[in-house]
Amino acid sequence: MFDFNVCIAGAAGDGVKEAGEILAKLLSNMGYRVFVYQEYESLIRGGHNASVVRCSEKEIHSHRYYYDAMICLEDYVFEIHRKRLRGFLIHDSEFECDFEPSFSVPMLEIVKEAGMPNLYRNAAALGALCYIAGLDVGDLAKIFVAEYGDKAEADTEIASKAYEYAKENCRRVLTVLRISEGDGKVVSGSEAIALGMVRAGLKCYYAYPMTPASPILHYLAKKRFALAVQPENEIAAIMMAIGSAFAGKKSAVGTSGGGFALMTESVSLAGMAEVPVLIVLAQRSGPSTGMATFTAQEDLYFALNPAHGEFPLIVASPLTVSDAFSLSATLLNMAWQFQTPAILLTEKHLTESYESAEFDENEVKVYELDIFDSETDGIFPRYEITENGISRYAVPPAIVKANSNEHDEFGITTDDAEMATRMYAKRMRKEDLIKAEAEKLEPYVCIRNGSDTVVTWGSNYGAVVEAAEELGYSVAGIRFLRPLILPEFKGEVVCVECNYRGLLAGMVEKEIGKKVSRILRWDGRPFTPEEIREALSKGR
Amino acid sequence: MEGLSHQRRLEKLCRRGGEILGLRTEVKVSWCPGCGNFGILRAFEKAAGRLVDEGIPKGRIAVASGIGCHGKISDYLRLPSFHVIHGRVPPFLTGLKLANPDLIAVGFVGDGDGLNEGVEHMIHAARRNTDIAIFLHNNSVFGLTTGQVTATSPKGAKGKSTPYGNPENPLNPCSLMLVSGATFVARAFAGKHSQLVEIMYSAIKHRGFSFVEILQPCVSFNDFWKIREEIHDVREAESVENALRLCRDKTACGIFYREEEETFEDAVHRINK
Repeated sequence: MFDFNVCIAGAAGDGVKEAGEILAKLLSNMGYRVFVYQEYESLIRGGHNASVVRCSEKEIHSHRYYYDAMICLEDYVFEIHRKRLRGFLIHDSEFECDFEPSFSVPMLEIVKEAGMPNLYRNAAALGALCYIAGLDVGDLAKIFVAEYGDKAEADTEIASKAYEYAKENCRRVLTVLRISEGDGKVVSGSEAIALGMVRAGLKCYYAYPMTPASPILHYLAKKRFALAVQPENEIAAIMMAIGSAFAGKKSAVGTSGGGFALMTESVSLAGMAEVPVLIVLAQRSGPSTGMATFTAQEDLYFALNPAHGEFPLIVASPLTVSDAFSLSATLLNMAWQFQTPAILLTEKHLTESYESAEFDENEVKVYELDIFDSETDGIFPRYEITENGISRYAVPPAIVKANSNEHDEFGITTDDAEMATRMYAKRMRKEDLIKAEAEKLEPYVCIRNGSDTVVTWGSNYGAVVEAAEELGYSVAGIRFLRPLILPEFKGEVVCVECNYRGLLAGMVEKEIGKKVSRILRWDGRPFTPEEIREALSKGR
Repeated sequence: MEGLSHQRRLEKLCRRGGEILGLRTEVKVSWCPGCGNFGILRAFEKAAGRLVDEGIPKGRIAVASGIGCHGKISDYLRLPSFHVIHGRVPPFLTGLKLANPDLIAVGFVGDGDGLNEGVEHMIHAARRNTDIAIFLHNNSVFGLTTGQVTATSPKGAKGKSTPYGNPENPLNPCSLMLVSGATFVARAFAGKHSQLVEIMYSAIKHRGFSFVEILQPCVSFNDFWKIREEIHDVREAESVENALRLCRDKTACGIFYREEEETFEDAVHRINK
């Protein structure tokens, strides 16, 4: 089965990310399934950026460790990747690379001739790749036009010049064939999350810039699918979301660990006052500022227990980009259905990676809460003590009173022991309903290959599935983390996670009462199928 | 609560005898006797009552309060309300107003609440010209936590956390709001009822961010009722610079400055059209 993994590497400002996206769209257009991993440093110019673009005839949710081809835009980035390259290299003739087979293309010269800035070397690189990998440079031009419109001319011209140069001076190594008429679309995890929330009725999104959650804010602000507002800090972001929800509009916030730490007092407020709010918590390497642009899964326990007091909280993590669409919609629905905060726990490797994902709009149902919104003369019994713990949601102009203090059924402050006992229990009863609902909603994804199981969560799933299939392991991708619902495990259990202690592993051990082995990394890099295969084989 | 139907409980909350109360609930007020907050509550009732008389439904006047003695005001008002957490009234109301621009958003904040814990929100709400009215209950002390200094306590003030005198300088709330871009800035005294009513009413009516510092004596920890004699009125200034000069006098009361500008909500909705 055809499977091609290309790494484009250069400095920040070389257009590495854009080149990766364009190539991914070209391959998607040719009918392939595509995955793009974006690696970059926390700087604006210089440094090292890489975009790993993989296409396959089968469904993929991961890039591969070894590259079939590499495009090198700066000499110093080559060494970082050398050990991974098992195919051919294309580099700018401005510098030498000690590698065979390699193709030297005068990218800078071509760009200068066209009178364009250095940034356009990415177009030259793609043009050369088209010849060497047997891709249609005309198709590439169409992608440029689709992407840049009127401004595509320079890219197209530079790409075709580089293509001609390669035709004269390089050889064709392979021919990537068109397998069907694909839609030429790739979607990032961030876009999927944004679209999922919008699908479920999102009206207001508040976020303070923080990698790797910012692209959600950028996308919503650009598309204007919902009000996207950047407040003074994360505390303001979640308080604004609570204000909008109190007024009856579906609201969400997005951040990473440090920003979420600032939000937690308000998460507790939302729990107490039973205000629905969705929090997208996109993890990155920590503690503290950590490695700001690198992936991690270190905040699991933090997300599960973020704030003071006990209150119902829903936490779930998407496995793939298309899962991010459905799960973000599901969680916004659930926040409203159960009138409590919900957290979409994800990570940089999902929010900033791209896939040729399709979303089934109809698969996601929109939960419309029956909201009381008429004028009242007296105070609405917003916190009526009910058997299942759910009280009717009401918004102004009803006279509805919410409270951070313990309160009675009308939202009036109380410290009466009996009322406190009953009101607290009313809120907590919602946990049973949430669990029952989560059980219906595919709390985990299971693939049965063998008696032993690799358990994982989040974006490791794509790499795990490939390695497990090859080695005959079953896979359990856990989506719901609070409530945690696990499948039945027959044989040994191995947990794959991007953290030091094996956080999910610890939870699984507690549930099943036996030791779980761990495959862990905390270096900010995502797992590839090769690395998991190697680690699993060692364990045998 | 046991054995009381919602309807009866509701009536109990909103009626006294056979008569429906105005904008008050029947929740027992727990401020100290003689607290400046009574004056603020009564004045607000009158100002909001005037809006109701003008035909604005009560349910359209949404209030929020922070943490501290002032925060209890939410319980006492028969209006939609949210008694939020310490310092976070402005962003809450900003979100409320963005979601439903038809609501009239009124925030009650304390000096510790609005100027210590949540000062950043006050500045940003002012600079954005969010259409909310903020009433600062300024008693220059943390009352509910039994007497510590706040951002408006004078240097040298003795409190439980500063038994040998406050080493910090106070900030002037009106100056801060003026330089932050508030489009309505006023000061009033909790004990000067009719002026307070007028200023509160004007602040609510003002389209944009309006800020009223209300000097509110705390009978238990910072009793300054005696400043009543020194309170004097000032006339509205023509420029921010002049308003800054006026408000430097800490017993000067009145509307210092107001101007009309596009509100944050209008700008957001215009851009997102």
